[in-house]
Amino acid sequence: MAVIYIDNVPYEVKAGKNLLEACLSLGFDLPYFCWHPAMGSVGACRQCAVKLFKDDQDTKGRLVMSCMESVRDNLYCSIEDTTAKAFRSQVIEWLMTNHPHDCAVCDEGGSCHLQDMTVMTGHAYRRFNYKKRTYNNQYLGPLINHEMNRCIQCYRCVRFYKDYAGGKDLDVFAAHNNVYFGRATDGVLENEFSGNLAEVCPTGVFTDKTLKEHYTRKWDLTMAPSICQHCSLGCNIIAGERYGELRQITNRYNGDVNGYFICDRGRFGYEYVNSLNRIQHPLIRSHVPEAVNRETLFDHLKPLLSGKVIGVGSPRASLESNFALRQLVGENQFFSGVPETTAEMMEIILSVFNTGDVRIPSMKETEEADVVLILGEDLNNSAPRLALSVRQAVRNNPVEVANTINIPAWHDAALRELVQSEKGDCFIAYPVITKLDELASGTYYISPDEIARLGYAIANFLDPQASAVPDLQGNMQGHAVLIGNSLQKAKNPLIVTGVSLQNPSIIKAAAAIAAALGEGDRKAMLAVVVPDCNSMGLAMMNAPSILNSTALSTIGSPDTLIILENDLFSISQEAQISEILDRSTNIIVLDHLHNPTSARADIVIPVGTFSEADGTLVNNEGRAQAYFQVYMPKNENLRESWRWLSDLKNLRDGTTDANNVTPHDLIRQLADKMPQFTGADQAMPTADLRIKDQKIPREPHRYSGRTAMNANLDVSEPKPPSDPDTPLSFTMEGYKGLQPAPLNSFFWSPGWNSNQSVHKYQMEVGGALYGGNPGVRLFNHINPGDRSYMNGIPPRFKPDKENWEMLPLPHLFGSEALSSLSKGIAELSPQPYVAINSMDAESLNVDEGSILQVIIEGVQYELPVKIKPELPARTAGLPYNLQELTGIKWPAHGQLVKG
Amino acid sequence: MESLSNRKKVLEQKPMNFWERLYLPAIFQGMAITFKHMFKKKETIFYPEVEREFSENWRGMHSLKRDEQGRERCTACGLCALSCPAEAITMIAAERQKGEEHLYREEKYAAVYEINMLRCIFCGLCEEACPKEAIYLDGPIVPANYLRKDFIYGKDKLVEDPINIESPVAGN
Ligand code: SF4
Ligand code: SF4
Ligand code: SF4
Ligand code: SF4
Ligand code: FES
Repeated sequence: MAVIYIDNVPYEVKAGKNLLEACLSLGFDLPYFCWHPAMGSVGACRQCAVKLFKDDQDTKGRLVMSCMESVRDNLYCSIEDTTAKAFRSQVIEWLMTNHPHDCAVCDEGGSCHLQDMTVMTGHAYRRFNYKKRTYNNQYLGPLINHEMNRCIQCYRCVRFYKDYAGGKDLDVFAAHNNVYFGRATDGVLENEFSGNLAEVCPTGVFTDKTLKEHYTRKWDLTMAPSICQHCSLGCNIIAGERYGELRQITNRYNGDVNGYFICDRGRFGYEYVNSLNRIQHPLIRSHVPEAVNRETLFDHLKPLLSGKVIGVGSPRASLESNFALRQLVGENQFFSGVPETTAEMMEIILSVFNTGDVRIPSMKETEEADVVLILGEDLNNSAPRLALSVRQAVRNNPVEVANTINIPAWHDAALRELVQSEKGDCFIAYPVITKLDELASGTYYISPDEIARLGYAIANFLDPQASAVPDLQGNMQGHAVLIGNSLQKAKNPLIVTGVSLQNPSIIKAAAAIAAALGEGDRKAMLAVVVPDCNSMGLAMMNAPSILNSTALSTIGSPDTLIILENDLFSISQEAQISEILDRSTNIIVLDHLHNPTSARADIVIPVGTFSEADGTLVNNEGRAQAYFQVYMPKNENLRESWRWLSDLKNLRDGTTDANNVTPHDLIRQLADKMPQFTGADQAMPTADLRIKDQKIPREPHRYSGRTAMNANLDVSEPKPPSDPDTPLSFTMEGYKGLQPAPLNSFFWSPGWNSNQSVHKYQMEVGGALYGGNPGVRLFNHINPGDRSYMNGIPPRFKPDKENWEMLPLPHLFGSEALSSLSKGIAELSPQPYVAINSMDAESLNVDEGSILQVIIEGVQYELPVKIKPELPARTAGLPYNLQELTGIKWPAHGQLVKG
Repeated sequence: MESLSNRKKVLEQKPMNFWERLYLPAIFQGMAITFKHMFKKKETIFYPEVEREFSENWRGMHSLKRDEQGRERCTACGLCALSCPAEAITMIAAERQKGEEHLYREEKYAAVYEINMLRCIFCGLCEEACPKEAIYLDGPIVPANYLRKDFIYGKDKLVEDPINIESPVAGN
């Protein structure tokens, strides 16, 4: 703690911060551009000037950049000083000499940091009457728009893109008054995090191109706190709607999870919500016409629910919906709709987490690791945001050195100068090159079984009690010793693994390493990537997989099979799924989009997507997080799955709910029934929570057009929709101050219209939100002793001439079904391919691009060859879950024949 | 009860005398005033055949302006809708495409622009807020109508006629 004097008033602030952070944390409005809470200071924009005095006697003082000044005891400064104020407004005036008068057509307008800072400094009149500098804009792909004239040369974009996210293709060119921020030539931005440029850039140079298709100002959006649905990490997002259409996804700060950044899949993958392929009406296939109303549907369903009913839960449906289904069909009739191997891997993960042998890190904690070992994951493509965290982690060791020579952690320019290209240890074992390889001190391109064996060898090196790996390949022991030594020396080692390669042994091996590394305070971190946004939640319900052979005998031939938000045909082979579906007399599907499974259903019930429903998801670290309905869809059929399912239960039992069922009620019942969910009910607030007797608005107070926008439909202004399920209201009415963090529907503060206002919601700049970051960590129940994951070393991988091992290779764009329906993402998704190494290509006598027939369990695919020289022999990589390549039962083997 | 203002006048109600009870003098007095007015200048006009001259700062129906080259000035920035106290304006923005430069002045335009005239209070704040001199309340009185939906004025009714292009600000 240090005492500083701002305009002669003493304040106690945290030492080690810079003066700008301290002032902002104290609530002062001090303008800035180049400083970013996650990226530190470089002192480039000169906007944050304050007057600094030698001591309390000094009256003259000198101007300094507050972002470059360390906080120390007895520091005297002035924000209100006239010279400092004049300086700050002149900096803006000078930036404005070249800035176009563009706000009216600029996508940034209304959430523009430059606008806010201009108003804050009081620069209101432009004296510059000459021609402005202009640039050509570039085509940067379907996701990001470029409008270079608006640039104020703060350098945030390149600092984020290159330094923070490791991008290669965005840079700064030219010099003096003509610097240009863009690519060397027009082209798609390659980095997985390019969408953050729209938020990092304080002006309208980089903006969300998908928003342009249905442009809406921030003040006109109805917004709700939400959770990304496109991978297992559970990044917090804000989803915005207008005219019944989802229009924008932005980052929602959560200091423990995603911080300030999300990946492009999460930001741009929302368009499926607006898809024409949405199911709009309940459908009864045997009825003419198929589309029916609710009464007819219920009349038809009533007899079907009384027989033997089997329910199939979904890893992409909320806890509420899965639980409502389980309540409807009964515990023993509830199955999980995930492939058998996934279920097996999830079981291993749960048992490892429950032993308490490892520390399950939040994404923020992974950033604090000093040595990282990645076993069998291509993070940039399977859990993108985590790759960004790992990128920060490898800097920790070199940065440590900086501390010893008194360079503060926020001094980005000095740190990067010092660190240069030095990196902490990072080891990656994966069959092909990944983007993180450039950071790695060791990369091992080996087959999944060999990855597991390497893992076990490391565990054995760290803890000789662990079983030794028989028949270890030549240099493997050497690698294991190298990695083991580094991990042993590390203060805070991190092991990352996951389900991507569909190999349970890899997860076991990773757990064995983490467990061998230490106990108690020295527990190592084990981060696990799981398939979907609620895979963890579903797995915690302990329901067997529907594709499990023993499950088949249990289900027998049911009267009715209810499939919840799940396209079963995409997760396994058609024959296997058909066999299950054929057993049932009636198939009911609840989903939001038409898909092969809904096509097979006898009854289809339309449900709301994440933006039309409330729910709770459990992410890969076991954090339960709530997402909230953004708007009330005009189509009354689009209801939450859990609401339909609760209705069906009442229908069958002939009961009625005295009160409206709320998501909180469901989660509470869930936690009562299954103690592993204790605490999850804290994540989803009760519907009657009020702040000062008020609900929390989803719309900013400037929301416009309320009496006009629906007048063409109904002039008599119906009552605005009410939300009986949550503490949020669908209008602008409600409590205007700081809300509880999980209920932040948007970030705004007087004078701070852009997302930079988030610091007003943080206890200290860059720290936790007021009231704690959202989400409740589960996995508090430790059953020590179960160490079965220690065993199961697979035999050595033997290349098989006939039976190739197929490797599912995830892609940021394309491997997740829902996001792939967005136009821009579909455009950037890879075409189907089969990857083999050069030797294998030679032996098959094919070149890059020649067509190979890939036969997996009798199903034949014709795919162009992609040569990846690093691939292990007799393994073939297929892009995972691409639309054209769904319905493969993983892990898979197959034959490759020249076509 | 005591008077509150001390200005209470107590009126005495005297019985009317004979002349008064005849009412004739009062009737003739009234008729005289009426006849006098027949020869005075009329206060009313024959609206809608005749219209009064509007004052300089009269606020009537909105019109969405075009520039000298006939292009729509509105860029759908949303400031009018934002400033409207009756929340009567709504618009849908769109990007100008290549080849539409002669239609819209800047990169963005309002694909839909609607004012709910039943809600509008003709305060003129939209006009004041517009940074593009695109909306003026310089039109006539908004006519009466039978159906409520006919009070939703879209671009068809609001956008200035392309042929009749005048300087946007009257008197400028
Ligand atoms: S970047 Fe900001 S200040 Fe510049 S034109 Fe856009 S909205 Fe206006
Ligand atoms: S493009 Fe944006 S972030 Fe980059 S220097 Fe210019 S204003 Fe700053
Ligand atoms: S990393 Fe995952 S959860 Fe985060 S934004 Fe990307 S897809 Fe969504
Ligand atoms: S005149 Fe006033 S009430 Fe009418 S549309 Fe304009 S701002 Fe709204
Ligand atoms: S924020 Fe301090 S110089 Fe840019």
